[in-house]
Amino acid sequence: MKVNINSREIEIFRGATVQDAVMAFSERSCRLLKKGEILAFDRFGNPTEPDGELTEGQIITLKKTKKT
Amino acid sequence: MNKHYFLLLAGIFLFFSLRGVAQQPGDAGVTEIIILHANDMHAKIDNLSKLAYLADSLRKLHPYVFLVAAGDNFTGNPVVDMIPDKGYPMIDLMNRCGFNLSCIGNHEFDMGQELLNKRVAQAKFPFISCNIDAAGAVLKQPRPYVVLNAGKDISLAFLGILELNDQGIPDSHPSNLKGLKFTNGLAKAREFSWLKEKYGILIGLTHLGIEDDVKLADSMPQFDLIIGGHSHTVIEKPMIENGVMILQAGANLKYIGKTTIKVKNGKVVDRAIELIAMNSLKNVNTEIQSLIDKYNQNEEFSKVVGVAEVPMTGYDELGSLMCDAMTNCLKIDFAFQNKGGIRVLSLPKGDITLKNIYQLDPFGNKVVVFNLNPSEIQSLICYAFNIEKNIDLQVSGMTYTVKTNADGSCKEVEMLDPSGKPLDPSRDYSVGISTFVAVTYLFDHRDPGTASPSTSAGCLIDYLKEVKKVNYSGIRRAEILR
Repeated sequence: MKVNINSREIEIFRGATVQDAVMAFSERSCRLLKKGEILAFDRFGNPTEPDGELTEGQIITLKKTKKT
Repeated sequence: MNKHYFLLLAGIFLFFSLRGVAQQPGDAGVTEIIILHANDMHAKIDNLSKLAYLADSLRKLHPYVFLVAAGDNFTGNPVVDMIPDKGYPMIDLMNRCGFNLSCIGNHEFDMGQELLNKRVAQAKFPFISCNIDAAGAVLKQPRPYVVLNAGKDISLAFLGILELNDQGIPDSHPSNLKGLKFTNGLAKAREFSWLKEKYGILIGLTHLGIEDDVKLADSMPQFDLIIGGHSHTVIEKPMIENGVMILQAGANLKYIGKTTIKVKNGKVVDRAIELIAMNSLKNVNTEIQSLIDKYNQNEEFSKVVGVAEVPMTGYDELGSLMCDAMTNCLKIDFAFQNKGGIRVLSLPKGDITLKNIYQLDPFGNKVVVFNLNPSEIQSLICYAFNIEKNIDLQVSGMTYTVKTNADGSCKEVEMLDPSGKPLDPSRDYSVGISTFVAVTYLFDHRDPGTASPSTSAGCLIDYLKEVKKVNYSGIRRAEILR
């Protein structure tokens, strides 16, 4: 299936999670996601857990977490 | 004032102040209903004692409190998923928490239809879904909807809807779905729009993911609420689409959604949401906590099956270990493990327990053995590589290098045996892959394949017991030459 991470189309296996897609997008981003240094948001601006299952065409945006 | 009289007055005041707005002046005829909702709990039982305490506390203060789950109650914790009576602890605890309802999520099928029937029978609450046709399947036909009543005059119709992937089935192992027919949930839901007319309040209890929940709201403004799951979305602020409030509470019971609706003359007149982080709650139901402790202390899972001499990290190291276990277990030439089947990304140095194994490989996939020639093996590797234009399959018994085309797709694969020689194009090799890969990956094979009696996790346990110590530091058997 195809999903979109930070405006880049990613082809990924069915049943893939946000983390799987971010890994396909960039290993570095995946490391940061796991550390909580970046968060994944859906196209409505809601945060999405890294183990969230993706659906065809889903749009995910990665954003750095705010440093306090 | 007499002290006792004062305490009595204070008690009466407190009681009425906590009864909710239905009893407050200015809200005549308004009834307040609280819906606690979890989704994608994935067998994470530890916070259920907090949820039970919260739900019980609210029930003491409010006459109408409902507790619902938006699917995927199972898969994700070996103490629930990897015992002979799979799923029993989760339903036992959900019963004790007083769940009123759950919809069916894709991972409800992971345990197979017979066991799912058993879990549905065990549950003191119904499982619903409107887009499953179980005629001709082992699964008993689920009800499409249920109606929960708040007193004599208020009825809430909950409609269950299940996600389907682009093959038209939910994301579970196809062998678990035999005989079941699925219809598009968004289309099917429209057939139930009459529920709104009949009962006044319509709530979608869906396992579709946020994207399809929005499409559902766009096509069916009849819904007052859509309580969703699947995408593990953390909805902290009210999300209104086409007048429908969409809710979802993350996953793994890190959060619980608390939605309060006010109803007047059988219709919803106000909706408010609160997302409660479970780590902000301190009180637990001690009886349920004791039971959770008992389930967690299943001695079987603490058994040490091997020792990691160094930490193991990443798909290469862990996947290589899993593949070596398969080749050793089945005495085959090669084994492949797909990335999606490696469910933890590190194992620490030291003892490896059964629990570690089942976290790493939780699906219970059997190994299927094919006799393949090098050209067919290349087609398997290329199919897997082209999914993400990256290494997907870890391997045992050989090493390989994918050479790519200009567009990054797989052009050819150089495959070398352990002595560094290319594979013999004139012979067949025995190759083990998981049933998931065997069913869903499209590759050339003359041999239809034979399922072994072993699961990949079972092979791993046997392998670790045999070799006792493992060290996969720096192992990398699959490369790309771009």
